[in-house]
Amino acid sequence: MIMGFAQLVCGQIIKGLIYLSIEIGFIYYMITKGINNLIGLVTLGTQEQGMYYNEATQLYERIDGDNSMKLLLAGVVTLVVIAMFCITWYISFKSGKEVLIAKEQGQKINSFKEDFLSLFDKNAHKLFLLIPIGGLICFTVMPLIYMILIAFTNFDVNHQPPGKLFDWVGLRNFKILIASSDVLTDTFWPILGWTVVWAFFATFTNYFGGMLLAIMINIKSLKFKKLWRTVFVITISIPAFVSLMVIRAMLNPHGIINIGLINMGFITESLPFLTNPTWARASVIITNMWIGIPYTMLITTGILSNIPSEIYESARIDGASPVKIFTKITFPYIFFITTPYLILNFVNNFNNFNPIYLMTEGGPPTLDYFKGAGKTDLLVTWLFKLTRDSFDYCYASAIGIIVFIITASLSLMVYSRTKAYKDEEGMQI
Amino acid sequence: MITVRGTDHKYLRMIPLVCCLPIMLIVFPYLIQGDTWFSGIGMTSAILKSLMEQDIKAFQIELLMSIFILPVILLILSFIVYFRPSKLTARCSVTAFVAYTLFTVILTFGFKKFFDGSGMLQESFMMKDLTIIYWLQIIIGFAGMIITMKSLKITPAYILLVIMSVIWLFPIFFIVLNSFRLEGSFYVGYLIPKKIGLDNYINILTDTSRFTYLNWFKNSMIVATFSCIGSTLVVISTAFAISRLRFRGRKTIMKFLMILGMFPSVMTMIAVYYVIKGMGLAQSLSALIIVNAGTSALGYLVAKGFFDTVPRSLDEAAYIDGATKVQVFFKIMLPIAKPILVYTMLTSFLGPWSDYIFATVILGDKRGKYTMPMGLFSMISRDNIDRYFTQFAAGAVMVSIPISTLFMCLQKYYVEGLSGSVKG
Repeated sequence: MIMGFAQLVCGQIIKGLIYLSIEIGFIYYMITKGINNLIGLVTLGTQEQGMYYNEATQLYERIDGDNSMKLLLAGVVTLVVIAMFCITWYISFKSGKEVLIAKEQGQKINSFKEDFLSLFDKNAHKLFLLIPIGGLICFTVMPLIYMILIAFTNFDVNHQPPGKLFDWVGLRNFKILIASSDVLTDTFWPILGWTVVWAFFATFTNYFGGMLLAIMINIKSLKFKKLWRTVFVITISIPAFVSLMVIRAMLNPHGIINIGLINMGFITESLPFLTNPTWARASVIITNMWIGIPYTMLITTGILSNIPSEIYESARIDGASPVKIFTKITFPYIFFITTPYLILNFVNNFNNFNPIYLMTEGGPPTLDYFKGAGKTDLLVTWLFKLTRDSFDYCYASAIGIIVFIITASLSLMVYSRTKAYKDEEGMQI
Repeated sequence: MITVRGTDHKYLRMIPLVCCLPIMLIVFPYLIQGDTWFSGIGMTSAILKSLMEQDIKAFQIELLMSIFILPVILLILSFIVYFRPSKLTARCSVTAFVAYTLFTVILTFGFKKFFDGSGMLQESFMMKDLTIIYWLQIIIGFAGMIITMKSLKITPAYILLVIMSVIWLFPIFFIVLNSFRLEGSFYVGYLIPKKIGLDNYINILTDTSRFTYLNWFKNSMIVATFSCIGSTLVVISTAFAISRLRFRGRKTIMKFLMILGMFPSVMTMIAVYYVIKGMGLAQSLSALIIVNAGTSALGYLVAKGFFDTVPRSLDEAAYIDGATKVQVFFKIMLPIAKPILVYTMLTSFLGPWSDYIFATVILGDKRGKYTMPMGLFSMISRDNIDRYFTQFAAGAVMVSIPISTLFMCLQKYYVEGLSGSVKG
């Protein structure tokens, strides 16, 4: 049970001492703070901040209540610490057993220096993965646990620490979002619907547009191939936020496009590019094409050059028309290779924050929706607004979990079907 | 019909027919309408009508007369091509059709401008009588270009490519022009600036009373550079370990990373902010760097895909020679991995550089720490856009130039990495 004991017995003094000190430190932490934190995690605070009558001084005094949010955060940290300790304990237990066996059999026992050096060779994976995994635990896993837990509390605008406490409510938030007469339900489903529509159009317009462009540039008799490609690469090389802001300014009611159309006599009043729901939705999809098509072009160009030219030759000898060559050879080939990319792209578009937020900020807002949500809001931008503007963290977290379920099931479908995953070892040469 | 080498006869035979169409488009409305000259539906009637008007200017008459020139040339060409089909005449008709289409498009879109105040414009004239003829002219122009180009076995893809290039370059053109515009205010009704100068560039760099452009640049540079260094180390070492080393828990780690990557990153941001606050780093650039680098391991897949393709015999040979794994990483893998190294560095530099949302969450309202996207975004908010739009344009151009140059130079690596990720 005592960590490091076996190592100490067998003469691995430094290693044993390190393990021992870890255990002592852990026990000290648990006694002084950890246990309280765990209790806090369960209760999320009992003392509400407020004015209380103090018998001794005969006055109302302000008492700082428990801060549910800090309690929750501390609880999560404690949980992570416990988990890490368990892993360390298991490792020390195992290495202790190994060293005992080695001693019994009279094998050589590694000194601390040798153990340390093995990090560069036998145990190099530990060295290489230490920082990446550590970073992920701090900045992804821990926040993620925290947010997932919040989805099961009532941490909304009416329960803001430090003034108020919040508490566990089980699945209530999901129920309110998905099936209730609340305005949140009336917001959630239309936004989910639009998110799917957006992801679908954003993915396929870019996919086919990019493919068309790549095929055109790849035509054999076409001259200045490099020039054409450069034109479109220029647009990629401009930071996306700049182009989005510029296009946003162009689509303004007084922007160049509206003014231009008025000057040409096509229209007499500005078109509501970003202020009418339907126009705004079309605008963001088209703007996304402007940004995305050159990317797909770059990707497809690489694939096109890999299609064996013999297939084309024989097709041409058989007298196939260019259209037929495209539908029977080029497209199936590209489609076959890029199916995983396509679905992952769909998932990415599902969570595509920038084009929406920088173009419309989710607007135009509507009164039919929950406060602040607009007609072009995706689930993620709505989630962002819920945390930043209205502080309804619990609903935001619940939405995050729902998005995760949707995207994860889509991605799993891809991974289980692609050969690359099934045959991961086989792909390596 | 004589056959001409190097041409497509099917299309060559169609050229005379198509060449006749433009003149028909002018003559037919007149014939159909008969004596009702002034209420005609076509351009002809509009032209004839305007010729009757007294207040029309000389250049407008010239413009109107020039409408006839190209159709007449095309008509003549149609006879020549019919009787003497050759490569030269086909080439001439391509040129004539390109000119005709360009002319029609310019005239269609600029009609109102050219004929402003001539008295021949009715309210929203585009929607009424002239429209059909305009669009018919444009359609015939394009059809003519396609047919004549096909007859010479030139791919008509040029036409679409030119149109797409114009659309794709227009916003760039727009912002560059605006950055040189000296008349302030966003709401001007024209594209070409009336006065040109460098004042916007000078103002945005020197006037720090409201927007501190150079400071944003510095902040972005710090964040992007250090994030880039940190992320590259993390990504490459993760990818190397998972791809080239075999250890227990490898598959578990891969699955773990995959699941983590599926959560929307926006969801954790607010919690990351509290973690950062707990570490006493709230609203600082170092927080951005640490978090960027710390979470970058999730993007290891592309680099792993690259390492997977490196032959295994290479490191095995090294191990036999007594090399340690760390040595193999530094001495063998890193030199080979140059393309993927550049790719990782490029993406992990550009990512933080153009990140808006995460920077806003971490930095909040601390204006002194704003990065470039946050700063520029604040310049085109509703209150500021009118006054600062031209300065914004100058800022956008200046920030794009170094980034674009970097990207264009390293384009090759980017494409390699990108297509690698598709196959993976």
